[in-house]
Amino acid sequence: MKISAKYIMFSLLTMGLVTSCSDDDNTPIVILPTCTDGIMNGNETGIDCGGTTCEPCDDGMMTIDFAGTYSQIDFMGRPGINTVFGTDDNKDAQNVAIPSEMAAAFQPAYEARLEAYHDVYAGLLGLDPTAVNYENNILGLDAPTLTGYLAADVLEVAPNLPTTYFNPGTDADMDGSLLVPDGDEVALTGRRLDDDIIDVSLILLFGGTTGDRFSGQDTDMDGTADLPRLTSDGVGLTATFTDTFPYIGAPE
Amino acid sequence: MKKTKMYLGLSALVVAGIVLIAADHIDALSTTGQTADVTDFFAFEPTEGSDNTVFVVDLQTNVLPDLAYGEFDENVLTEINIDTNNDLVEDLVIQAIPRDGRMYFFGPVAPAQTGLNSTVMTDLPLGDVTISGATAVIETTADGVKLFAGPRQDPFFFDFFQFNAVIGGMAPGGFKPAGEAEDTFDGANTLSIVVELPNSMLGSTSGTNALGLEVYKTWVTTNVKQ
Repeated sequence: MKISAKYIMFSLLTMGLVTSCSDDDNTPIVILPTCTDGIMNGNETGIDCGGTTCEPCDDGMMTIDFAGTYSQIDFMGRPGINTVFGTDDNKDAQNVAIPSEMAAAFQPAYEARLEAYHDVYAGLLGLDPTAVNYENNILGLDAPTLTGYLAADVLEVAPNLPTTYFNPGTDADMDGSLLVPDGDEVALTGRRLDDDIIDVSLILLFGGTTGDRFSGQDTDMDGTADLPRLTSDGVGLTATFTDTFPYIGAPE
Repeated sequence: MKKTKMYLGLSALVVAGIVLIAADHIDALSTTGQTADVTDFFAFEPTEGSDNTVFVVDLQTNVLPDLAYGEFDENVLTEINIDTNNDLVEDLVIQAIPRDGRMYFFGPVAPAQTGLNSTVMTDLPLGDVTISGATAVIETTADGVKLFAGPRQDPFFFDFFQFNAVIGGMAPGGFKPAGEAEDTFDGANTLSIVVELPNSMLGSTSGTNALGLEVYKTWVTTNVKQ
């Protein structure tokens, strides 16, 4: 009410100025903005507030109390890292760590965990655990390099390229291997809602150089699988999504 | 000998009934079932060739009973961290925090301090949006930023119970084939925070991925008021 009244007064005053000067074309009228003139001018973001000169605006958001210190309790970069590689000894620690320190802190434990997963299947296959080990994957990464890369747990997203977490089903160079990078692949550029990140992860962990090292092969052709199926969990996206914001389907 | 112990250890984990849930759902003892539990994180280009980036942060899940699910916590600050120079330290943050039925967003802005403690960057509000019910309420700001907060389907998919059998040494055949496998998350819901913004607000990046492609390096944290 007060502002409206001020504004009307100002408008009348301005009209008066314009009227009184209308017959003098050579003298421009300059009205300097002030923080008390009752209109939003200059670089104000509200009437007589905000910008570089006036007091901050009381626009609602500023009156809400956001004060205080907030301390990190949970962390996530790539999907599944803490879940798959973490142990009861280090899962909580990873959630209150910072990425620049993660590789040093967690790589050895993650490598041990990767090897332990292979030992599970050595046991099931009746083999010596020392005989069944991680094998360099389709990216050519050895166990220390792979686990070091994953331990620095950040999700990469490219601003100027199509998004794909990875497309391990593409034999881009037709060499019979699922995907051996030859320099022109687009991958690790983000994560879409429908990217099958579990299958990608399984292929990188258990697929070996060909991507299908443990994929339920029937090696003696007797109609029964002799190797475990470890490179795909067999499921795809079941949630609905759309091509418009916010992209994910309404709750069920 | 050591490896045998590890094998037995893994089996014992599952026998003891400790169930792990991915992607980051219920990933650790200290956050499991809490309102600040980050369950998932996505970052993508909305359409091919777009100059925007979309960030989706999922908090809480009802995939299992008796978990905290359904309400954003006013004591929890969600922070999307963005490294633009390849040192794995955040150069920009986008913050989201609820107050009285609305989600308030701030940034992208250089944080007051990097690392484990944060303050809300109130000098750079991005916008705010009503927290949705089943029907999505969307806010589009003058800068072309789109904002959403509310319940959505949990888009993660994984035959997680079979995974537990696999790592527990109880599934000689490994995972089940397509058709027999079941998505543990089918029918589950989560609380989503979705931000779409022009890449110009994030600026250029000198970060590169393992293939040498130019990328932002991003991660999400939840932070509890002290």
